[in-house]
Amino acid sequence: MSHHLFLLSPSDTPLYQLTHYSSKPSQTIPSPLASNLPSWSTSAFAGTLTALSGATSASQAHHAQGGTVRIGGGQDRHVIQMIANASLDVIEEVMRKENAMYLKSVDKFNEWTISAFVTPGNMKFVLLHETRNDDGIKAFFNDVWELYVKTMLNPFHTAHTPIRSTVFDARVRASAKKYL
Amino acid sequence: MEPLAFASLAHVRVLLLPVGDIRELEFERWAGEIGSFETIRLGDIPSHSKDDRARFMPNPLSSGYLHLSFTTHPPPSSHTPLSLIRPSDFPLGVIGIASCSQTDSLSSVLDNFNEALSDLFPEGSTFPLARNCFVFEESDGTTNIDVGDHFPGLVVIPALLGNKQLHIGTLIADLCSHILGEFATVMQALESPLGNEYLNASLFPMLPPPSEMPKSLDHDIRSHDSLPPLPSQHSQPELATTSGTLRAKTPLSLKRNSTIAMGLAPQRHASLPPPLAKRKPNVIGAASSHGRLFKVTGDLFLLAGRLEDSEIWYSEAIALFKGIQDTAWHASALEGLATIQIVQAWASTSGATHMSAEVDPWSDILDKFKQASALYYKTTPQHESETTYSLLSYLYTHSVLRQGLLLFSIWSAKGWGPHAFSMMLHPDGSFYSPLANTNATSRRRSFYSDLERLTTISGISRAQIASILAQLHGPWLLHLDERERVTVLQTLASLYGALGYSRKEAYVLREVLGCVMDLIVCGREDGTPPRTPNPGLGIRGVRLDGDSAGQGTVGIREVESAEGNDSILRVVKQICRVHGVDLEAVKLIDSIGHSDSAGNVGEESRKAEQEEDTADMSEAPFGWPELQIGIMREAIAVAEALPDYLSVAQFSLSSLKILHEVMSQSDQYQMYHAASRALTIAKRRGDTRTIEYWSGRPIVSIEILPLPLVRIPLEKPISLLAQERTTASQVLAGYTDPFLYNPRRQSGRAQAALVQGEPFELVVTLRNPFVFDLELQSLRLSTSGVPVESDPIQLTVPANSYHPVKLSGKAMKAGTLVIHGCVVQAPGGAPREFILPLATEEEEEKRTRQRSAIECETERVKRAGLDARQWEKRRSLLSAAATSSSKAAIRLLECKVIEEQPLLRIRRTSLTHGAVMLYNSETTTIRLTLENVSSLPVDFLALSFDDSTIGPAQRSLAEDELSVFETYETEYDLIYQPVFTWDKSQSSRLIHSGEKTTLTVSCFGKVGCTNGTIKISYAYVHRPQATLQEPPDVFHTRQVSFPVLVTVYHMLECDGMDILPYPQDAALVTGGSNGSSVELQARRDLMRVSEPADWCLFSIGVRNTYGIPFQVTFRRSQEGVDDASTMSLVPPGSSTRVMIPVKKISLPTELTSKSIPTLSDKQFVVTKSSLTSAEEQAQRELFWYREELFKMVHGEWKENGGTRCGSLSLRRQRLTMPMLETLRLETTRVRMSLVSYDEAHTCKPIASVQAGTKYLPPPNEFVYLRTKVTNLSTSELVLSLNLSLEPSSHIIYQGVLTNIPLGRLASGECHETELPLVFVSCGRFDIRADVRLLDPSSTLKPVGQGSLKAMVRTD
Repeated sequence: MSHHLFLLSPSDTPLYQLTHYSSKPSQTIPSPLASNLPSWSTSAFAGTLTALSGATSASQAHHAQGGTVRIGGGQDRHVIQMIANASLDVIEEVMRKENAMYLKSVDKFNEWTISAFVTPGNMKFVLLHETRNDDGIKAFFNDVWELYVKTMLNPFHTAHTPIRSTVFDARVRASAKKYL
Repeated sequence: MEPLAFASLAHVRVLLLPVGDIRELEFERWAGEIGSFETIRLGDIPSHSKDDRARFMPNPLSSGYLHLSFTTHPPPSSHTPLSLIRPSDFPLGVIGIASCSQTDSLSSVLDNFNEALSDLFPEGSTFPLARNCFVFEESDGTTNIDVGDHFPGLVVIPALLGNKQLHIGTLIADLCSHILGEFATVMQALESPLGNEYLNASLFPMLPPPSEMPKSLDHDIRSHDSLPPLPSQHSQPELATTSGTLRAKTPLSLKRNSTIAMGLAPQRHASLPPPLAKRKPNVIGAASSHGRLFKVTGDLFLLAGRLEDSEIWYSEAIALFKGIQDTAWHASALEGLATIQIVQAWASTSGATHMSAEVDPWSDILDKFKQASALYYKTTPQHESETTYSLLSYLYTHSVLRQGLLLFSIWSAKGWGPHAFSMMLHPDGSFYSPLANTNATSRRRSFYSDLERLTTISGISRAQIASILAQLHGPWLLHLDERERVTVLQTLASLYGALGYSRKEAYVLREVLGCVMDLIVCGREDGTPPRTPNPGLGIRGVRLDGDSAGQGTVGIREVESAEGNDSILRVVKQICRVHGVDLEAVKLIDSIGHSDSAGNVGEESRKAEQEEDTADMSEAPFGWPELQIGIMREAIAVAEALPDYLSVAQFSLSSLKILHEVMSQSDQYQMYHAASRALTIAKRRGDTRTIEYWSGRPIVSIEILPLPLVRIPLEKPISLLAQERTTASQVLAGYTDPFLYNPRRQSGRAQAALVQGEPFELVVTLRNPFVFDLELQSLRLSTSGVPVESDPIQLTVPANSYHPVKLSGKAMKAGTLVIHGCVVQAPGGAPREFILPLATEEEEEKRTRQRSAIECETERVKRAGLDARQWEKRRSLLSAAATSSSKAAIRLLECKVIEEQPLLRIRRTSLTHGAVMLYNSETTTIRLTLENVSSLPVDFLALSFDDSTIGPAQRSLAEDELSVFETYETEYDLIYQPVFTWDKSQSSRLIHSGEKTTLTVSCFGKVGCTNGTIKISYAYVHRPQATLQEPPDVFHTRQVSFPVLVTVYHMLECDGMDILPYPQDAALVTGGSNGSSVELQARRDLMRVSEPADWCLFSIGVRNTYGIPFQVTFRRSQEGVDDASTMSLVPPGSSTRVMIPVKKISLPTELTSKSIPTLSDKQFVVTKSSLTSAEEQAQRELFWYREELFKMVHGEWKENGGTRCGSLSLRRQRLTMPMLETLRLETTRVRMSLVSYDEAHTCKPIASVQAGTKYLPPPNEFVYLRTKVTNLSTSELVLSLNLSLEPSSHIIYQGVLTNIPLGRLASGECHETELPLVFVSCGRFDIRADVRLLDPSSTLKPVGQGSLKAMVRTD
């Protein structure tokens, strides 16, 4: 099971991204409709469609019997980014109405549930996860926020500067390990 | 592709089919006509009398409606298995539309129609249930087509018919009646045991083929009726209860009863349970359940517009399905039930909507749908093939889509109301975008608030709708066949779009694109020619209306057909825009229309350029670089696959322009090459459009190279010709200007001057921010004003660098030339002009302000999300800028082009290698031959010189640290001893075209000079002019300069100048032994002077430091005295002292008291010396006497045995005070002598030796000291005399020694005093006289002295 974290600047640019694999098995039960998928075309465009509709990951998960680490690269990674990006639509709408910073399970797409955390500076932390883990995710987000604020204390760091600090990375990873 | 209607379950679908040779327009027209019948009143439908067929007929007075939907495409054959579970998806009726004018063609029309139908619907398929062919008469032909009964199923609508609409309505109603009748037939087939078996056979059962039916339904219904069917008892239990007769299963009775029982529904429900309980034991699997049968009945009743019946049957069915796990059918029944509510609501639309206050009225419907889709979701096909998956997915997606549509319709129709109902029942074109017109990005803000308002009114949040829609999306989409997939996805996309969820819309659009492109690619690979009549993929904009994608086969485009490409590209662009990539950042230009106007730039492009500038500066990037690049790649791939080469190029270049900062190197290379390839192909294929210049702003700076020195024209005021220039001040002034601000001085930043007809060069600096070498097809100047001849150049700008390049041009006329910038053209692209404003301070300031404004902006995040996209931001920025600052005129690079100028060149010189070697202070001449190589004459010629001594001297003068005396010396050196001089009178000033002239310049050897320059300024001043033209007040000169290498040998050195009193005993020499040699004789002649006291001796040492001997001659030229000279040979390495007597001089006090003059016209000379007035007086005297001395004495040298000669300068020699005293004529002259008188008072001089300087008086005798004082000055003086006698103890004298009054002596007068004295011992005596001026003001001042030596001996 994997988690994908994106820290998005107000202009939708990712400043930091993390893929975290946890050893917990995935608990979602795929629909029978998602099985037995046809391989209907070989053109590159069909590949795009297959990936975007979540078919690749579904079949992979199916074959891999769950729990195994998926390779978060290539087309799959691109799809995850697309999903994270698309979820901003909902996040933007919900954050207009709600005061909470933590927007739990704000969106669902394909097999992914999306939780978000909006800082007062309009930074959006977007987490793609497969299972419900509200408390853990909330604690994780709070951790990341604290780390982010510490990074922002750097006077040379603007809202648009990508975060390349290894310390930040290590701490976020540690936090992910702890809570997710 | 028809938009998916929410209530399509209640629609009787009718297929409109073009028959025969009907034109598309015609077909569209009639189809539209027919399509306007969305509903038919039940009462309008003619009911057939036949009982068995009347089961689904409306009762005559019913007020319901039959909902029709028209389609022009048959359902895909793969959907056939759905024919029973979802009959509403199939065309229940077919209307052929034909047009003809000839009677005889009617039969062929009918044949065509039948043929088409059999093509579309294979033998044995359930649908269509009814068919008809409408033949529209084409023209107002007189031929009245008489059909009669010859052609059953063919109706001719005469052209003359007035109210066609009414007629068509009747015909349609008739068709509907047929359909309803056929419903009964179908039902009958199903009710048969065999039918029921078939029905329950599989998940998606088929109607048994007619051949298998025991009896033809059409022929003998009665017989079928009379069968004792097992299911009939079970299937119609409620009828039994209500009607009390078993025969009630006849459709007629069923219908009747149910209609009667309209108001009694609750009652009936109460009575339902028993039969249910009864039925249960009979359930032995799906095969024996009647759930499906009931469900089909419900479906058909729903279609027939008999909602109550339908509801009853559905409820029954659901009750049955609950027991057995027939999920799909259960779900389908739920959907039907839910649809009924909407249709009912619509029917009661006249106003009284039963708004229940407590819950949302739609929650029940929504629940049903949710349940339905959950059931579909769970359905596990056991052993079925892939098609089952496909169909299940189809049902599932549509069920979810219905949920979404339900909420969306209510939301967009501002709540539960008639508008929403009609939207759900009869969606029209504008269905999906309630706010389509406000969708423009310019009004995003209001767009959002509008969306929010809808939410507030309807109570449905967008997130709610979106979360339902999200359920739709999943891997199962792959199960769908192509057409369905496209439909579902495009519906999804447009729903998202209408919700304002652009990113999700873009996501889905990518999938749509994937589908469509896949079909295109696969279709091409198959190579089969397109069968569908219109091959283009009719995707229009975001709303995909892929009509032509009928039958799941997409029209295969032939290579040349570009139809539909635009739509696909628009989708691509939309996706990219959402991600912040403007694919049209590089615009397409129609090259034909544009080529001639490429040169001039409109205000528009200038504005665009400005935008670009700001864009360059704005730092904050928008979007997700990885995604952007991925999407760009896909966009390019799409364009390549279409293929639209120009778009490939446009997309690649746009992405390069926008994203090159985040792009990897290989990507950049790839894009660039792809673009250039695509451009070549596009050009080869004759595309008239091309792309504009793309790489941002390539030109960084532009500047005019200074002309080569010989060609630079210098502007001079014409008044300069009139005045004779004083060279002295010019030379001395050097280049320093005493004024900090001199308005007359030409500022250095003046316009560059170019010459008409002569080439000039510019340096253009180009920038290439990319990792590849940027090729430019042409780069040329863009100018205005004077016409310019300039060739464009082709070049390659190296990767990632600034690259200067030279452009040359030639101005064809005199005037002002304005250089706007450059016109740049990339290979295969259109040329574009880039204007480069002059980097004035104003401009710089503007830029800085802009930059800081943008920086400020980026720091503060004011726009988030999609509003942060560049163009959104820029729009607001620009509008702000437009209001705040009025357009400041841009200053451009200007230069002045002056009229043609002559050109001279130095043809030859008398020097070899331009070098001249001189002895110090030697003079030689240099001859320069000039040639006029231009076509204009030269009528003005002036020479100026420069050499290496001038600079340092001027610098030391400018520093002003020198004493007055030194200043004078330096200035003297500069003015009177220049290295070069030119005799103007010698050469003619007019040089005609092609002529030659020779200039003679003399060169003076000056130690320390190493090089010099001869500058020849020339001009053509007196040009022929039009009489009325005002003569210009300036003219232009050009300069040829000729550098000369000067070597000056320093060989003779003067030192130790001295001036001695003329010795008394010099007379001895002259008078001495007779001369032995000529030389001695000459010296003797030289030394012979009349009165030694009037003379002094000038002596100077001359040293030869060179390798050869020189003859040195000193000449004396003094007024009132004969000239004299002395010559001596100075051998190398030795020095000689030369002496020459000089008569003493006396300068008037007026002269000597003058201050030392300055030769320059310096105005402010501040005396810096801190000398006392006496000292200063002394200094002045020294100065003036020295000047006088140098006028008298001249030195010359001559090469021994050679011809070279020169002068010897004495100016380095200093005059000291003792020398001055010697040189100056005394004020009074004192002459002393010893005399003795004998008794006779005769005077007898005492013997003296050494020319009367030493006396030999006898001891102890009276002698007289006679002192004669002569006044040599010009004024009269009162003098006194002091005497001193040493040793005074041995001299006895009479009278006083001091203050002996001499009285007032006039000029030239003399006075003699005598003092008697006795030397009382032997020995040497020294007697001195001291004349003092009796001056009342001051102390006594000695003005003359004399001395006398006496040797007293006793012989």
